Amino acid sequence: MNNKEFERLLLSVQKPGRYSGGEINSVIKDKHSVDVRFAFCFPDTYEIGMSHLGMKILYSQFNAREDIWCERVFAPWLDFEEVMRQNNIPLFALESRDPIKDFDFIGFTLQYEMSYTNVLNMLDLAGVPLKSADRKELSPLVVAGGPCACNPEPLADFVDIFFLGEGEEVDLEVIDLYKKHKKMGSSKPEFLREAAKIEGVYVPSLYDISYNEDGTIKEISAQNGAPKTVKKRIIKDLNTAFYPENFVVPFIQIVHDRAVQEIFRGCIRGCRFCQAGFIYRPVREKSAEVINRQAKCLCENTGYDEISISSLSSSDYTELEPLLNEMLDWTQQNHISLALPSLRIDNFSEELLQKISHIRKSGLTFAPEAGTQRLRDVINKNVTEEEILSTCKIAFEGGHTAVKLYFMMGLPTETDEDLKGIADLGQKIVDMYYNMPNRPKGKSVSVSMSVAVFVPKPFTPFQFEPQISKAEMERKQAFLKSCITTRKIDLSMHDSSTSFLEGAFAKGDRRLCDVLYTAFKKGCKFDSWNECFDLDKWNEAFAECGINPDFYSGRLRSYDEINPWDHLDYAVSKDFLVREHKTAVLGKTTPNCREKCSACGANCYGEGVCYEKR
Amino acid sequence: MRNVRIFYEKKGRMKFVSHLDMNRFMSRLIAKAKIPVWFTEGFNQHAYMNFAVPLSLGYVGLYEIVDVKITDDNYSLSQLIDDLNAVSTPDIHFLKATESVMHTKEIAFAEFKLLFDEINTEKLNEFLAQESIICAKKTKKGGVKDIDIAPLIKKAEIKDNKLTLILSAGNENNLNPSLVMTAFFDFCGIEPIYYEVTRTMIYNKNLEAFC
Repeated sequence: MNNKEFERLLLSVQKPGRYSGGEINSVIKDKHSVDVRFAFCFPDTYEIGMSHLGMKILYSQFNAREDIWCERVFAPWLDFEEVMRQNNIPLFALESRDPIKDFDFIGFTLQYEMSYTNVLNMLDLAGVPLKSADRKELSPLVVAGGPCACNPEPLADFVDIFFLGEGEEVDLEVIDLYKKHKKMGSSKPEFLREAAKIEGVYVPSLYDISYNEDGTIKEISAQNGAPKTVKKRIIKDLNTAFYPENFVVPFIQIVHDRAVQEIFRGCIRGCRFCQAGFIYRPVREKSAEVINRQAKCLCENTGYDEISISSLSSSDYTELEPLLNEMLDWTQQNHISLALPSLRIDNFSEELLQKISHIRKSGLTFAPEAGTQRLRDVINKNVTEEEILSTCKIAFEGGHTAVKLYFMMGLPTETDEDLKGIADLGQKIVDMYYNMPNRPKGKSVSVSMSVAVFVPKPFTPFQFEPQISKAEMERKQAFLKSCITTRKIDLSMHDSSTSFLEGAFAKGDRRLCDVLYTAFKKGCKFDSWNECFDLDKWNEAFAECGINPDFYSGRLRSYDEINPWDHLDYAVSKDFLVREHKTAVLGKTTPNCREKCSACGANCYGEGVCYEKR
Repeated sequence: MRNVRIFYEKKGRMKFVSHLDMNRFMSRLIAKAKIPVWFTEGFNQHAYMNFAVPLSLGYVGLYEIVDVKITDDNYSLSQLIDDLNAVSTPDIHFLKATESVMHTKEIAFAEFKLLFDEINTEKLNEFLAQESIICAKKTKKGGVKDIDIAPLIKKAEIKDNKLTLILSAGNENNLNPSLVMTAFFDFCGIEPIYYEVTRTMIYNKNLEAFC
């Protein structure tokens, strides 16, 4: 297709900037002078994918090598997909506009389960056979990484290689091995067998799964010399690790349209519902000096007027105050605003609040997650009601009149009392506001409370727990609604049909591949988008495959049941998860990594918080 | 502090960047090039920029204009152009910068070149020769209003499937070439056909280049 024809088609769809490419800092190379072409695919829209830090890191890192050209690919929105299919335009990479089926690697990042149908749809649009077994040639190799790779079994039939853990090193090792085998003319099975020897590489086709009569897994056995367990990779020293000096700066507005500076990986807290808090262990910090230098460089190279620091819990960063002082210095001078997401309630000091309010008055958001102390202890969210109230008080005194609170429902051991606690907490915040003599004059308070449905995830202490049923969720939602008596509280509860699907896919095994394929064939895609999600089609797909999603998400699993992800080693041991689960049920908390080591197993890397001097 | 007018071309992949996105793009470019521009002093401080006439999405522009205020009197305007081009994409190419002479209120006309694969010249001339051309225009408030666009067409010339139009531009009576073409397709009773649009010049009321 010639350029003119392509541009004519682009002008017929919404937001052509999603597909045009040519952004500042996007990388153009001569395709004849590179050895490996890598299509980095984000299985969602441009606006979402371009906001993802992991993609920015790997894109820059791959392209820093002369022999690799990494390009970006996103899921086309419905209107453009229709145009592509009508005009036989295969899925292309934004930089070169070349079809990705001719690339060496097609790599997906798996950020959430609800993007899986988009993975299949993108492969289909690319004109690549969906199943790994049907792709006989060495290339294109379909690879995937990201948090959902910790239980990649529902995609096992489609993906050749999963990268477990952090990709900066292992991805390049695999690319180098590929280069060697491409030159040697190896077959795909030969290459995959060799790749499986690299730590952090999981080749699902090299594992046989057998099942018991009750449907649970009997045995996971490694074939052809593949390791019995595959261990995730981490970057040991973040100070010397690659970090981009440059981001591709989009023309159209994206979700997080700003520079992003990572400050540490992992989280010391160990909240028991939080998968990220376990799979990214151990905590490894970047030094304030490195962060400051990298952040400054990013702002200069992108021209962004906003920078956000990024981590799972920014106020746990050990050098936060000196870092903020340093950063405020040059950001203010250059009219750059500094954003600090992911702050915890319990160590949110007045001084810190003053510093932030210095920059821009934006909304305050807290995540108590549960309504009562008892339940917060169960989930190990170690914040108290007093802390929540006192933080809100500081915020109100600082001139804020709106706070946003995040909760979950359907947590293990939850009772109606706990749900009522959510409403009560909101009421207490409202009451406190009106009891403050020095409250902002003439202004009303607004407390927004958002309540999501809890989805148990692998590699958390709650992986054994069932997810609540849809009927139970509806009852709980109605009950909570009835507990709210003031209009100052704005309660939002999503219709969470998607959470049930998410639960099944999070803890599912490779028998779900057929369900996924069937759902895709029925037209399911963009499942995380309300306007696209079609529960009926999914239910049909499950029924046609003879699989009940409740088997995966709705059942309490015994400690000795073999889970579909038990051959993957994310450094937190199953023993630890069992211990934590037992402690949770007793309503007891576990101290954070800096207070006391709980022997999760993440010290095996010899780095990070486990070896900090205390 | 000087009021500086910057002239640039917008073409290639940049065609797909809307006016709103262009605003953001330009302010980032100015930050990246470290141009000593004046910042507004309000609640939400930002680099002062004023685009003379917005360019529709999908159009190429060869005489695009943005006004800024330069705070450093020793900063030369040729340096400004070099600094901007050094960080820009090839599809936004900066041509020159001058101290502004005319006021943006003086903008009266814009020249467009429309390129067709094939167009019925006879029919087009017949269409343009009408005394009045009534067509429906969307108003800013979201309604639709019938207007006569004939008086807003200053000049129209067709040659080798290329239509040159000089149309009213500016705050009042701005006419987009797509409206002319829509009226033409209606006139002929045919389905719209694809054409490329390039805006080549901005004029004042005496058809002098806006500067």
